[in-house]
Amino acid sequence: MLKKVDARGMNCPLPVIHTKKALETIENGKITTIVDNEVAKENVSKLAKSLDFKVDIQQSQGNYYIDIFKEHNMIEPIDMDIHCDTTPKKDLVILISKDRLGEGSEELGKILMKGYIYTLTEVQPLPKSILFLNGGVNLVVEGAETIEHLRDLESKGVEILSCGACLDYFKVKNKLLVGGIGNMYHIVEKLNNAQNTIKL
Amino acid sequence: MNREKIYVIVFDSTHYAIAAEKNLKDKGYKFNMIPTPREITANCGLSIMFNEDILGYIKKDVESKNLKVKGIYEMEKTLHEKKVTQIG
Repeated sequence: MLKKVDARGMNCPLPVIHTKKALETIENGKITTIVDNEVAKENVSKLAKSLDFKVDIQQSQGNYYIDIFKEHNMIEPIDMDIHCDTTPKKDLVILISKDRLGEGSEELGKILMKGYIYTLTEVQPLPKSILFLNGGVNLVVEGAETIEHLRDLESKGVEILSCGACLDYFKVKNKLLVGGIGNMYHIVEKLNNAQNTIKL
Repeated sequence: MNREKIYVIVFDSTHYAIAAEKNLKDKGYKFNMIPTPREITANCGLSIMFNEDILGYIKKDVESKNLKVKGIYEMEKTLHEKKVTQIG
């Protein structure tokens, strides 16, 4: 038995819903779902995989033809991770006010902060800005082991901004290696305009 | 396609990882201490990450200092995923 689901032009998550319904109507056999965007393609194949059905995808003229082979009874989908909104959260601002993460051990705290900043480079969505103040500026100046990761973030479009008064206070203004210098107005504006902030 | 091959050593404990970091830093190797990638283990842990050119040196060093290693992994990063293979 062969069945087609033409999901072109449908909004997320409709392609998934229609594909699932079509799969429910057949005993076994093949369903071909046609979608016109990457997100729908990903979501429909996630559905098939979570049902433990074989998938075969072909691309042609901007459309994706997703063949799903129903070879056994349907179970309820497990771990189906459907995403409709894939736009990055561009409004996350992180305020870093220390050169270590957490309390307890200074040594461990510094390692964890380094790990945190490295991991920021690996995880989507990226934050919009990272602001450094007080002891946090130690992470953006000469000798810091976080420079490379912060430069990486900056090259990916993340704004790196350090508190000028703080760089001054620690006498490291001429040792700044990554990002720009801002004052309290910048910091307050960035934090006030952010929809999501994390303070460390 | 440009594939980046990197190596990760996972230690038995945080203390071994910290000791390894100190030791390798003293020797002037270029590496990064990173949280253990999820592809390797979901446990919270610290690892060191470095390029292929110093794999031999680091392995020898870590062994000679008796730093207990949980595993050595080769990680191949592509745009969408990381392929991890245990090599030691």
